[in-house]
Amino acid sequence: MSSETLYGMAAEFDTPEAILEAARVVRRYGYREARTYTPFPVGGLAEIFGFERTWIPAFFLAGGIFGAAGGFFMQWFANVVHLPWDIGGKPMNSWPAFIPITFEMGILFAALTGVTAMIVLNRLPQPFHAMFQLPAFERASRDRFFLCIKSTDPQFSREKTADLLKSLHPLAVLEVPR
Amino acid sequence: MNLSEVRSRLSNQRGQALWRSMEELCDTPEFRKSLEREFPGGVDGWINSGDQSRRRFLQLMGASLMLAGAGTMSGCSDKPRDEKIVPYVDAPEMLVAGKPMFFATAMPMGGFGRGVLVCSQEGRPIKIEGNPDHPASLGGTDSFMQASILGLYDPDRSQAVTRGGEISTWAAFWETVRPRLESKRQTGGEGVRLLLEPTTSPTVLAQLDELQRQFPRLRRHHWDPIGRENTTAGMVAAYGKSFAAQYDLSAARVVVSLDSDFLFDESASLRYSRQFMDGRRVRRDRQEMNRLYVAEGTLTITGSTADHRLAIRPSEIAILARALAAACGVSGVNTEMPAGREKWINAAAADLAANRGACLVMVGESQPAEVHALGHAINHLLGNLGHTVHFTEPVLGQSDSLDVLVDEMRSGKIDTLLIFGTNPAYTSPADIPFAAELLRMSKMRSADGTFANLTAHLGLYDDETAYLCQWHLHQSHYLESWGDIRAFDGTASILQPLIAPLYGGKSASEVLEVLLGRPERSAYEVLRGYWVSQWKNADFERQWSTALKSGVIAGTALPLQDLGSPKVVASASEKSAGEWEVVFRPDYSVWDGCFSNNPWLQELPRPFTKLTWDNAAMISPATAEKLNVVDGDVVRLMLNKRSINAPVLVTPGVPDGVISVSLGYGRLRAGHIGTVHGDQTIGVGFDAYAIRTAGERWFAGGVQVIKTKRTHRLVMTRSHHAMGTFTNKESLKPDAIATEQTPEWARETANRKLVRVATLEQFKANTNIIKELGGESEKKPLLSLYPGPEHGGWDYSKGYQWGMSIDLTSCIGCNACVVACQAENNIPVVGKEEISRQREMHWIRIDDYFGGSLDDPKIYHQPVPCMHCENAPCEYVCPVGATTHSVEGLNQMTYNRCVGTRYCSNNCPYKVRRFNFLAYADAETTEQRKLQRNPDVTVRTNGVMEKCSYCIQRIQRTRIEAEKMLVENSGAQQAEFNLIERLQTACQQACPTRAIEFGSIIPVGGEKTRVAKLKDEPLDYGLLRELSTRPRTTYLARLTNPNPSIEPAKGGAA
Amino acid sequence: MTATAESPVTISSGQDMTQVIPVLMPGATYASVTDQIGGIVQRPLTWLWIMAFGITFVVVMVLTGAIAYLLLRGVGIWGIDIPVAWGFAITNFVWWIGIGHAGTFISAMLLLMRQNWRTSINRFAEAMTLFAVACAGMFPLMHLGRIKFFYWLAPYPNTMALWPQFRSALVWDVFAVSTYGLVSLIFWYVGLIPDLATMRDRSRNRFTWTIYGMMAMGWRGDSRHWLRYQTAYLLLAGLAAPLVVSVHSIVGMDFSEAQLPGWHSTIFPPYFVAGAIFSGFAMVLTLAIPMRSLFGFKNLITIRHIDNCCKLMLVTELLVAYGYAAEVYTGWYSGSVYESYMTMNRFIGPYAPAYWSLIFCNIVAPQILWSRRVRQNVIIVFILSLVINVGMWLERFMIIITSLQRDFLPSSWGMYYPTFWDWATFIGTLGLFFCMFFLFARLLPAISIAEVRELVHETAGGSVPPSKMEPANVI
Repeated sequence: MSSETLYGMAAEFDTPEAILEAARVVRRYGYREARTYTPFPVGGLAEIFGFERTWIPAFFLAGGIFGAAGGFFMQWFANVVHLPWDIGGKPMNSWPAFIPITFEMGILFAALTGVTAMIVLNRLPQPFHAMFQLPAFERASRDRFFLCIKSTDPQFSREKTADLLKSLHPLAVLEVPR
Repeated sequence: MNLSEVRSRLSNQRGQALWRSMEELCDTPEFRKSLEREFPGGVDGWINSGDQSRRRFLQLMGASLMLAGAGTMSGCSDKPRDEKIVPYVDAPEMLVAGKPMFFATAMPMGGFGRGVLVCSQEGRPIKIEGNPDHPASLGGTDSFMQASILGLYDPDRSQAVTRGGEISTWAAFWETVRPRLESKRQTGGEGVRLLLEPTTSPTVLAQLDELQRQFPRLRRHHWDPIGRENTTAGMVAAYGKSFAAQYDLSAARVVVSLDSDFLFDESASLRYSRQFMDGRRVRRDRQEMNRLYVAEGTLTITGSTADHRLAIRPSEIAILARALAAACGVSGVNTEMPAGREKWINAAAADLAANRGACLVMVGESQPAEVHALGHAINHLLGNLGHTVHFTEPVLGQSDSLDVLVDEMRSGKIDTLLIFGTNPAYTSPADIPFAAELLRMSKMRSADGTFANLTAHLGLYDDETAYLCQWHLHQSHYLESWGDIRAFDGTASILQPLIAPLYGGKSASEVLEVLLGRPERSAYEVLRGYWVSQWKNADFERQWSTALKSGVIAGTALPLQDLGSPKVVASASEKSAGEWEVVFRPDYSVWDGCFSNNPWLQELPRPFTKLTWDNAAMISPATAEKLNVVDGDVVRLMLNKRSINAPVLVTPGVPDGVISVSLGYGRLRAGHIGTVHGDQTIGVGFDAYAIRTAGERWFAGGVQVIKTKRTHRLVMTRSHHAMGTFTNKESLKPDAIATEQTPEWARETANRKLVRVATLEQFKANTNIIKELGGESEKKPLLSLYPGPEHGGWDYSKGYQWGMSIDLTSCIGCNACVVACQAENNIPVVGKEEISRQREMHWIRIDDYFGGSLDDPKIYHQPVPCMHCENAPCEYVCPVGATTHSVEGLNQMTYNRCVGTRYCSNNCPYKVRRFNFLAYADAETTEQRKLQRNPDVTVRTNGVMEKCSYCIQRIQRTRIEAEKMLVENSGAQQAEFNLIERLQTACQQACPTRAIEFGSIIPVGGEKTRVAKLKDEPLDYGLLRELSTRPRTTYLARLTNPNPSIEPAKGGAA
Repeated sequence: MTATAESPVTISSGQDMTQVIPVLMPGATYASVTDQIGGIVQRPLTWLWIMAFGITFVVVMVLTGAIAYLLLRGVGIWGIDIPVAWGFAITNFVWWIGIGHAGTFISAMLLLMRQNWRTSINRFAEAMTLFAVACAGMFPLMHLGRIKFFYWLAPYPNTMALWPQFRSALVWDVFAVSTYGLVSLIFWYVGLIPDLATMRDRSRNRFTWTIYGMMAMGWRGDSRHWLRYQTAYLLLAGLAAPLVVSVHSIVGMDFSEAQLPGWHSTIFPPYFVAGAIFSGFAMVLTLAIPMRSLFGFKNLITIRHIDNCCKLMLVTELLVAYGYAAEVYTGWYSGSVYESYMTMNRFIGPYAPAYWSLIFCNIVAPQILWSRRVRQNVIIVFILSLVINVGMWLERFMIIITSLQRDFLPSSWGMYYPTFWDWATFIGTLGLFFCMFFLFARLLPAISIAEVRELVHETAGGSVPPSKMEPANVI
């Protein structure tokens, strides 16, 4: 098998501490194209391979502002421009009465945009991923922690990489086919 | 329930007690039980008999269109016609689709006519209004006139000639009756008898006289369960001869009524109501009102308007009358003053004496001849003759009475009996076995096996009497046949048909014509024939069309008679009335039973009790306590070996010891609506005729009252709120009537001020009193967070601004407005079961509040339509904007947009909104009744909210006319003003006392309108003003005019 | 492996309570919690579950029947009338929506407040929310006179240029409830994604593998995904918290917007929110206590959880009590005859029994929660939770019926008598609620596995301090 046929080289650990340590080492050896997979969020892992900030909050904010503004405009337009009626002698632009819907619309759009953004940025849904080919990877959602150095990394070489990973005392080192 | 306790609570509480029902005042296990019985649930009490096809409807439509449109009736449903009818003078000569036409005619009742204008749309008569030109109407109507339009379309009216129940033909009847009469010619009509309801029809009376001429030995009898026997007898007793008395209340400053319900049961009641109330309208510039004393044996609407009401046993009224006569100085009456009545009698006598020539004593038909004679004596003595009292020759045709007839029937002297209209088999006195004799006659066969006798009945319904006759001939309704009739004063009117007879049918004059041996002629020919013979003079046609246009025949009123001094009859010795007395009265909804099959009237909440779909034995709280009964408990009334079972209804205001029952219920062959089904969810009452004897037609002593185990579900629209397990907590009895006695603080925090009451003296002393009754909040201007017109808010100061003013002093609670509204606005009938679920649909209701003490309550009527609030609470809670406000200040309901959240009703402080909880309008309405519907008003569907619209369809019609007028002539301000002032809502137009005024509350054409002036009156106040709803409907406070010698000014009303 | 096999010792109320009870029983490992919670879903159906589901399903059929007849005849089949035009339908609506508040409150508020004990109850609390909102949502539709036109309450472009009337609280309600339902669903689903992945990986047959796989959207626990995921989840919580408050405030405004004595009151929004959370926690306990013993979750849902819920109930109960007091005070202080009469009418009017029993259920009975012995006695707490559910329903009944029944004009006063169909509809929704809950318990992990694993990690005290695990520091 040549490196072209490989997605990467994965190591399996059984504690968050182990994988954190392993990730730091791998990074020290200059690997950038590495991914970690854990059954629950392990703080600091992602940062090791240079994932510093996410834009999710921005999406929430934008969605919220749009929703609120749109919500109020809809009510103002309906009651002042499009269908102006004398309702119980109240003024056409009874803005205090429009606040509740404005608020709800803000919340709704913020939530929708934010979550959609999270899913899209995560490239989900993604039915197939190379890692799924490893039978052991089933436990990534239970009690195992995986570190995978991708073959696209300039420093990647079957032997060196494998040796490096072995040196980290993982439960196992596995080749991930493409 | 413990009454003394209730009384004490009532007596020692501040301000005005308001207690709309006894249960509210205290709670009893019986009552709680009666509540548990209240809602068994399930059954729908609706009657459904929709078997008529739309095809038939279209035939009729075609016919009637031709009738009304071209003004000539040709090729109608059954027979060709060539008869002219003439539209009312105000209406266009030709039918314009969608434009109503009005025709003047008259509604016969008790033999007398009351002029009406019938509104016809596309050839369908759909609404009845009073004819302002007619002396007995003056433009007003009562609930019977309003409801008679539905009677026209009643699917239960008989639709064919029947013989022994089998359908037959008119021809067949002619072949039976003609030879029979011919064979009688030589004997002079021996054994032939006619039994008619009393009539004043000149044509019919002429025909009868002719018949009498042809058959000298033929006899005419009349029967009317209400009748005027006592009145006539009284007249005979006083003046030796029968005269008709008519009263002029506009000239009376003091009126004493002795058991007379003259606002309801006189043939001229509408006129009297108007005249009487005209004398009671107190305005800024006219601060005087007449005074009414009433002594009555039961609770009547007349009594409820009295300044001094004396509720005493009817048998005592004769004694009272004598004492009154004596006090007035009538000589020759024994002067024993009844104990405890001195105050009332002396005050009344003094008042009468002080107003010689301007006072009036009226005696009710229910009182014996002696009392009538006394009344005449007093009136004569006080010089009222020629001022408030007038006499004419009798207007009713004279004939023999029923008991004579039945005696002859029993003795077998009669072999031919023809009954016209009346229904004695149901209404005849219990001691006159008419029904049995009639049945015997009808069944008797001669030797050859053929029927020995001929019995026939001409009537609108195949009723109890028709059932016992061999022949039933279906009569035509007064709205579909030609005829004529006289009013109480003799003024004659022509009856015009508004539509070709829906089910065929003939009028009495058409039948009589044949009995006279003449060829069959239409009522039109007969009628014209008679009047041609009357008007021998100038051109007939002009006079004829004038008569049709105006609805009255000029100069037909009978000449007034001058009578000498009346005889005073020596008083008959009283026979003791015993412990209980029973009082019989015509019913406020079904009269004597002739309106039993009219769903509008059956569902009409009766005055005071708000009872629907039933009659009840009304008894006073004290009586109830004595008998240990509560509402709905059935008691057996036994009167000389006859007995009926009646559910009691405790009604304050009924004299103690009196059981007051109304006639006209418990019918066996009334039709789908009026027939007793023995089903409590439908059932329409008990038959009081069963214990009513000829001798004691109006009240009878010595009746035994036995409480039974049974109970009957009485359904009322008023005391729903009293249902529930109440503890004896005084705080739960709302104060709602504000008077001068209401302390300042209470006016704000303890009193609802729904009805504001003052006496004339209090008002004169302080014209601002009504506003002051409003308490603190009334003094402050209403605050609002919303911008006024000056800041771009809504501006209600331009164009027309509609508003209404209701005068609580003038309202007599007669219900005419309620039925008028129902007729005008296609309001469905929901049936007893739905009413019991508090789902009545009336757009305007009359709230009757009881004030004062249990034993001598004051009664206040308050009509409540939609208030059309400027800040309408119903509008801003509607999620779809189905109820909105118009620039003219109307709170308008868009049925098509309504999704039925019912929030508007929840948020309406006046609870005037009505909801179609089920498919009321169409599901259960027969095709014929749908013909009555007003094409200008939407029929509401299931799940839609509805309410009073101020008759928007009428408003629109008028404003369109006004706009057209102003376009043609911009200077026509005056004409515009007149036009807008002529605009009337249905309730306003129906009101006999003009208690309701409607119009623009801002000047029109620069002139101030009637309603605007009324709203400036010091008496004007708004219901729940402090809520800042700014209602467009406001009220004029109730004023009373008590006699200071009875009720010191500070003593306070109610 | 089954749950009971591994589940460690559980504390019975008999034991000494002086020691602080942990949120998680000792001895739990990543694998053990995963297998325990996941195992519930995969273990074969028990006759108990089948019976329970069957019964509730029958009740759902009753509901369907009631709705069918309603569509046939109209709302007239209920006991409503004029003046009481709102009856059971709205009462049930407010009750259900109130119950629906605890779920999101627990997930959102407690997450924001770093209450780690929430992790083992938030999942089914959220599910409860969704089902309660589903039940609640039916009533505003059903109670319409013309149900077929329900969509007129929604703003949509139409040729007639017609719009909803946005001043009406009923329209606010439409927006609030639908937003709440939708956001709660999203929040719930986002929380589920990692567990769905777990279920996918645990599934033993192709069918469940496909279903869970599709729902998991290919989640594989990539650390970058975790970062975005946690950020989004936290922000969602931040939105949901005010949303919870706003929704029941608006439900409160449905009434306080009116000028009816008994409705027209500024205390309503906060008073309704407190009541909602109060009833919500009651329902959480009603569900949690049987579930923890049926599914052997005693090691995950410990006495500590129940104790905390009780404390929260006690707090909200006091707020509600304040609401009642304020209403009575207003009745007197307003000096308005209508307000004071309405208050008296509640005390001694025809519906007084309802009023006093709600005072007992909501004010008197919960006072026992001051004692810790009671708080930690599951039996008593369970019974109390039922009592409170009843009490809160009565509160809504009292607010709606007794206010409408006797308002301004005595002439139009009335009564309200529920009919058979009123009851059928109400009980039907109860059936629907539990039916859906039973299905949920069988098809999805009733406790958030991922979060419990995280909890195991924290309590096990790994080299990574919990603080570093907070996603906040990477935003």
